[in-house]
Formats: sequence, structure tokens, C-alpha cells
Amino acid sequence: MELTEEEKSKAIAVSRKILAGCERTKGNLIPILQRIQGELGYVPLPAMREVAGYMGLPPVDVYSVVTFYNQFRLNPPGKRQVKVCLGTACHMKGGQIIMESWERRLNIRAGETTADREYSLERVACVGCCTLAPVVLMDEEVHPRFTPTKVDGMLFAHGLTKNGEKEGEGA
Amino acid sequence: MSEMVRLTIDGKPIESPAGEKILWAALQNDIYIPHLCALSGEESPFAACRLCFVEIEGYPRPVTACTETVAEGMAVRTRSEKLDRLVRTGFEMIMSNHRIECKTCPANRRCALQKIAKERKWPLKPKRLPALERDLPVDESAPGIIYDPNKCVLCGLCVRVCRRKGLGDLGFAHRGFNRMITTFGDSPLGAGGCLNCGACADACPVGALAARGVWGQA
Amino acid sequence: MSNLNDTVINALGRLKEAALPEWQALKEKTVILVGAATCGRAAGALPVMQTIKDELARQSIDAPVVEVGCMGSCYAEPIVVVLKPGQPGLVYGYVTEGIASRLVLDYVAGDDPCVEFALAALETHEMIPTFADYPRGQIEQKVVLEHCGFIDPENINHYLAAGGYAGLAHALTLPPEELIQEIKASGLRGRGGAGFSTGMKWETCRKQAEQTRYVICNADEGDPGAFMDRNILESNPHLVLEGLCIAACAVGAQKGYFYVRAEYPLAVDRLKKAVAQARDAGLLGSGILDSSFSFDVEIFQGSGAFVCGEETALLASLEGEPGLPRHRPPFPAVAGLWGKPTVINNVKTLSYVPYIMKKGARWFRETGTPDNPGTAIFALAGKVVSTGLAEVPMSTTLRDVIFEVGSGVAEGKNFKAVQIGGPSGGCLPESVLDTAINFDSLNKAGAIMGSGGMVILDEDDCMVEIARFFLDFTQKESCGKCTFCRLGTKHMLDILERITKGKGRPEDLELLTELAEDIKAGSLCNLGKTAPNPILSTLRYFRDEYEAHIHEKRCPALMCKDLIAFYILPEKCERSCDVCVGSCPVEAIYPNEDRIKVIKQDKCVKCNSCLVACPPQYKAIVKLSPPEMVAEKEKVAK
Repeated sequence: MELTEEEKSKAIAVSRKILAGCERTKGNLIPILQRIQGELGYVPLPAMREVAGYMGLPPVDVYSVVTFYNQFRLNPPGKRQVKVCLGTACHMKGGQIIMESWERRLNIRAGETTADREYSLERVACVGCCTLAPVVLMDEEVHPRFTPTKVDGMLFAHGLTKNGEKEGEGA
Repeated sequence: MSEMVRLTIDGKPIESPAGEKILWAALQNDIYIPHLCALSGEESPFAACRLCFVEIEGYPRPVTACTETVAEGMAVRTRSEKLDRLVRTGFEMIMSNHRIECKTCPANRRCALQKIAKERKWPLKPKRLPALERDLPVDESAPGIIYDPNKCVLCGLCVRVCRRKGLGDLGFAHRGFNRMITTFGDSPLGAGGCLNCGACADACPVGALAARGVWGQA
Repeated sequence: MSNLNDTVINALGRLKEAALPEWQALKEKTVILVGAATCGRAAGALPVMQTIKDELARQSIDAPVVEVGCMGSCYAEPIVVVLKPGQPGLVYGYVTEGIASRLVLDYVAGDDPCVEFALAALETHEMIPTFADYPRGQIEQKVVLEHCGFIDPENINHYLAAGGYAGLAHALTLPPEELIQEIKASGLRGRGGAGFSTGMKWETCRKQAEQTRYVICNADEGDPGAFMDRNILESNPHLVLEGLCIAACAVGAQKGYFYVRAEYPLAVDRLKKAVAQARDAGLLGSGILDSSFSFDVEIFQGSGAFVCGEETALLASLEGEPGLPRHRPPFPAVAGLWGKPTVINNVKTLSYVPYIMKKGARWFRETGTPDNPGTAIFALAGKVVSTGLAEVPMSTTLRDVIFEVGSGVAEGKNFKAVQIGGPSGGCLPESVLDTAINFDSLNKAGAIMGSGGMVILDEDDCMVEIARFFLDFTQKESCGKCTFCRLGTKHMLDILERITKGKGRPEDLELLTELAEDIKAGSLCNLGKTAPNPILSTLRYFRDEYEAHIHEKRCPALMCKDLIAFYILPEKCERSCDVCVGSCPVEAIYPNEDRIKVIKQDKCVKCNSCLVACPPQYKAIVKLSPPEMVAEKEKVAK
């Protein structure tokens, strides 16, 4: 995904703001990257370059950390982030079928964002709610005992709020 | 500077400076142990390639020769049925993930993988395991270096020497099966700060990084 | 020395005194506890809590509503506990907003205890059994889970009033060597999974010449299916904090860390609050409880890497690097964080420490067996009735935990296997259910204790698919540093995928076993070394399933998509019903000329929707394996 000029400058500005006054110890690297992702929603290359410069690290080392951990995104997330839990209990209760339902409905694969940047879809390893399997997270909200039929309902409900109408129908 | 320690490797008595790792003690005494990722004098050995296993009398399991320090009276064995099976599997795994094109490869006849195959009399092509092709693009952007990641064994020697030169252009990125040697943002070598010094190519034990022109490549 | 004793004990005494009035005040009114840990919230606890508050306001009743953690009975969430002065506390389960209103109107405002909604009473009650009256209650022994679900995790005063931090006070009065001896004498073994002697680990660290030391709480609970650590951190974070302080005291650490995985935001939040409160109370920082011991902690969030549950990878992560494991020796207790002696302990391990300090090593040894003393906490998930947490004495049998505590297999299905130890563990069949659960006996049976995750599998679960699932997980989480794990798990996964897709070959099983053994021997860290365990254990106990997949292209559990076909039995199809047609997301079902529904096999995506949708009185849709059976059935139908 190519970034716009605006996105690039925003990334640099946010990074500089967060870096200002931070201790330059290497132990701080991951917390700093987490804060950048917390504000931007992702950690693009321009942000990484700022961090590397400030911390006095080779840029490839920052890239190494960002590409290692599941949590860091290099591309902007969707406005709504759908995470399907594929831990053991969820898998056994049909987690993979739910993932495929989302993939079909959103027309993207896990790890991708829809072209209109509305939704991104991810797999997550286990959120520890195994008794309520299968679990889907929509923007960190846990939706328990999910079924493929609920996908449409959720999209419908979110579509309503997007259009400014009253929420609550459908879900 | 340091006292000498006496030990035996495969029955052969040798002497080695105290504090030395078994791998170097062996190599310095003409006893070959397969290895890819070890760099002499390193504080904490990388211990990633997992090929230098040896058996030591009194130890319950095989250990890597690059991480184990010599001790007085130690009895080390580099060959046994158990060891050979273990190392051969590791070698086969690497070869299944390595693009084998010896005839045109810049590392032909000086390649560490060929050496292992020759010393142990194993075939280069794995028998039990299918090829795990990585299908990554070959980077010919740098004027002095060609980088073929499909041959890379992830030993990390290039990263370490690049860093010793102060550059730090090369590094590891991504995870698991996708782990690879690359630059910031996976950009081509020629696009970044690479000085074309060729240190990485010198350090590379296989044909992944090669200096252009030296071995008749492009 | 007695001066120090007095100072510290007095300091704690003052804190407790300040906390008690709040606690006593609660006892004088009706108090309502609502379990709202992450699992409770997901089950709908927050709207229930709001309903209770609204109804109380409407009735003008002054009854505090306290948000608490989870007592472990997750299967019955949302859970509400009503404590009326002079009455045994009553625990209600499956509480909906409607039931919540009823509870306020009938029991809080009135005298009707709403027996029909009650799970259990906390003390003897004339109408409602206590937890101890159930088979589950007779086996369970809550030590670490004692206060979970009964105190406000965001209020240090509750913990203090319940006797919290007395363990730390005691620890501060002991010479560190004596402290360590007590932990050694207790026989506490690491509950992260390895089962290493906690006391010995602490002793190794204390003995190092280097004076800068660290203690770390490993809360990177990565095993899918395990949520014990999450629960403890969300329900009683002070217990873990106290344990970490005692560890610091023992080894002489000045700084400590909580390493919590990113996927546990509520746990992180509760920990942050607990740490802040502890600092304010002088239980953290310089001069703890007016002693000369100073110690403070930082909370570090993981970034999504299962491998960071491995000690050396965790350290790398704290040091700002990718979570790549390092060769051991040196062990972290000798050279760990930034090269300094570091003790890393699991959440559960640290949770036992305050109790051992308060009640003594001998008390701890009264439960369990000599080599495996104490209790163990398990997360029961999967096809079991009572999903949730269970704390049982070590060496309780698997059978008792699954069938007595867990109330057996859900929906009347047949038990097939219990997966224990996560991706590093194994699957154990019915024949070994009488194995005692402890570190040593599980190893012998081919599994590992692991962190405590137990997933129950029934007749509808394919053991080959489970092995493939775990290999897929380990493969994705492999750091990629060492040959055997990076490439070995990929080869094993590829073979398993072929087998589950009906492309298995006879020589695959031997190759899998050989690779598994070499990967165990050759990998750098325990992720790689234990990755083959699910394969080895399923091959040991369920070889017949593998063989069916390979030789007959058949999946006995009817789970592997490429080996099954959905089929509508013509004789059972109620022709005028169209439910299945509507349920199909890819429009693969159509009526034939007799209006009997038929599934177009080449369009079917095996999503199971039609099978679920077909009304129970018809049950016309079945799964067949191998898929060729559809053609056979169609021939017969003609």
C-alpha cells in the first residue's frame, strides 16, 4: 500500500512528538513503537526512520523488530478491525469457517484491508475467552459464540451507524 | 596469554587455549565439524545453524561445538550413528530450502555446503524432503554485489561483518519461514547505503552474496 | 532484627487498619458482586451490572455494586453474587438483564432468594447447595483462586483487608537465605510448564556475584486455550504483585517487570492500577513497609509473539530486539536481562508465594504429592460442559478433572481425547485418563503439564487435524532462527496438510516420526523442541486415524474438509421446506424435479450452515467420508 504525502508527514510528526524526551535506551524501542502504533494505527517506514535516527540505531534493526511481532502493522488498518480468534477452542468450534465467512463477505484475505479502508481482517492467536468460543473481536470488543450468520448482521449494523442512522437494528 | 587445555577429539589428543570453544579447537587441529554460522571470537555464539553437534563423554545429549568450551580431559566425538543422523537431517533441511545451481553459482567449489557434503559423503540433493522453494527476487541493483536470497542459509555472518564495518545496512527481518537477510524496508541493496565493500560477499559461506566479476558473474 | 520485624509488621498493621473500615462497612449492607473479567464482559456482564444499578436506583436501595473478577466458573457467566448481612452469600449464574432485575426486586428488596437462578450458596443454606455439595466442589481446592471473583481487583483495601501483603511483611523480616530455604522446602515447581524448582532458581540468582538483579513475571500466556494467568491478573493483581515483591526480596532485585501479552488489555489496565495503588501505600518503591528494601516495577507489553513466552526470547524482547531465543547456558538466573542475574517466574508460580510465606512450606506440602506438592490451575475449554478454571490438588486424575469438575463432555457426545499443554503438549485418550496430573506422570504419558490449558475433544474432532492445527500455529510462531524449527516444522506441516487433504502417502508416518525426533533433538529452544509433541502423541494413540486418512482417504471424525461431503438424504428431506437453500452462502443447494434439495458438490464450501439450519425433526443433512460415498448413495437412491 503506497502512502500519501499526507500520511507520510503525519507519521513523521506523530513519531517526533512521541520520541521527544524519551530515554534513548534500547529497552524503550518496543514501547515507543507501540505508542506510535497506538496513535497512527500502524508503523510505516517514515516512522521507523525517525525512531532509528533518534535512538541511534541502524534503520534495519527497527525494521527487524516491526516485522517480527504480529501486533505491528506496516499498512494502515481499516476503520474497523475484525480479528478472528483461531486459538484451539475457537478452532475446534469452527473458527476457520468463521474466518472464511468474513473473507468471503469482505472480499479480502486475512491480513488485508478492504480497498475502501473500511475493514481490516486479521487472525489472532488466542484472547483467553476460550469458554465463549468461537470468538470474534470487532475493534477490541469481544463477540462470543460467533456464527457465520452473524457476519452479515454485524456489517449491517455498522453500515447503519456509518450512515448516521440509529444503531441497534440487526446485530 | 592463556593456559593450554588438553582434550581428545575422536580419540586424537589435542591442546587448545583455555576458554576456546570445541569447534575452533577441532578446526585448528584439522578435525572437521560441519558449521555455517559460527564466527571466531564471538562472545555469545549465534548457535543458529545447528550443524556442529558433537557428543561429549558424560553429557546426556549431543551439544553444539560452537557453544561448548574445552575442558581438561574432555573426550569429544564428532561422529556416531546418532550424531550423523541428527546432522544429516539438519543438512537435508537446509538443502531443501537452498536453490542448488552449483554449475553457475559464484560459490562453486568454495561453498561450505559442498564441503559438508564432501566430508560426510552425503548427496547435495535431499532424498527424503521435497524442495521448499522461496521464490524470492535476486537483487542485482548494487554495482559490486549480487544477492540471491534463495541460496541464503541464514547464518548471519554478512550481518555481523557489515555491522563491524559500522554500516549496519544488512539485517534480519520478518519471522519464521519468511525470515531473511534484507535491508531497511526490503529495498534493493543499490538503493540504500551499501558501500559495495564486498565484506558480506567475503563472509558468505555459500553463494547467496557474491562480489560481481570476481567469479565471472555478470 | 526484632526492631525490623516490629517496624514492618506495624507498617502493614497500619495499612490494614486503614483498609478494614471500608471492608466492614460492606458487610453491613447488602452488596452485589458482578463478575466482569474479560470472559464475563464478553458474556454480557456490563449490561447486567448496569441493569442492577438502575433497578437499585429505581427502588431507592443503597446497596454497593462491586465489579469483581472471575471465580473460574466461566461456563455460567455472567455471574452475580448477592451478599446480604446475616445470610449466606448466594451465587447466581447465567444472569441476563431480566434475571438481574428479578434478583434486585425479589431478593435484594424482598426475601425470595430466587432459587431457580442460583448456582450455589457460599455457606450452608436451607434451600441451596453449597459448592462443596457438588462433585466439583469436593475435588477443587482454591488457593490462588481464593479471592478471585470476591474482591474488587481495583481496590487495594479489599486485598489488604483479606490478609494481603502479610506474606511480604513476613518475607521482609527474614534473611534472604531463610526466605529461599522456605520456598525450596515447599517444593514449589514452576507453573509455567517446565516444573523447575522455584527455590533453586531463586538460590542460583542470589548466589551470583553481580549485584544488579532483576525479577520478571512472565504473563505472556501464549498457549491457545489457556487463560489462567489472564484471569488471575484481572481478578487479583495484587496477589501476583506481592509474589513478585517477595521474589525480589529473596534474590536482592531492585527492579522488576511484568511482561504481559498485548492481547490482554484489561489485565494490563488492572496491573497498572494495582501498581499505582501499591506505590501510594508504600508497598512498592523505596523503603517498602518502612524497611530498607526498595523495589519497583515496570509493566511491559508484549507485541504478539508466542515465542516470547520462552525466557530468553522474552529477555530479547525487553531489550528492544526481535524475540529470538538465545543459547542456554548461560541460564537467565546467572546472566539474564542486560546480562544480569534474572529470575523469571510464571504468574501462577508467583501467586503461590504469598500463601507459602503466610502459611509455611509444610502447609503447602499437605496438598498434592511429595514430588508435586500444592495445587494446579487448569483452564478447561473445548467440548466440556463446565468450561472455565479449575484449581485442584496436584495428582488429581484427568478423569476426575474432566468428568467431575468439568461435568463431562458437552451435548452428550463421546469423549475422544484431552489436549494438554498447548502446542507443546500432547493428546491423551480415554485409556490414560486415570493418569494423575503432575509434571512427571504427564511426561511419561507423552504430554506435558504445560501452562495448564486443557482442551477436551469429542468424537467430532479429527486428531490428525488437531496435530495439523498445532503445527500450523508453531510454524507461524517460529522465530526462524534455527534450522530445525524454521524448516523442520514447515516440512512436518506440509506433510500433515497433504494427509488432511487426502494426499498422504504410506511413507509419511515414518518420515514424520523421524523428523519429529530430530527436531526435538536439534532445535535451539523449547518452542522447536516441543513442536513435534502433538504429532508424536497423536501418532502414538490415534495412529488408526492417520492410516484412514492415508489409505482410505477417509476422515473418521468427518472434519477434514477435503475428505468430506455434505449430502442431503432424499428420504428425509421435507420437500416443502427451503431452509437449507437460504442458509447456503454460496447458493449451492437447489431443488430437483421432485423438489428434494440437492447440494452441488463443486460449489459447496463445507461451511456447515445447511446442516445446522435443517430442522431437527428432519435431520436430512449428513456428512460423508470419503466424498466418493455421495456417488454411491446417489446410485442406491436411484
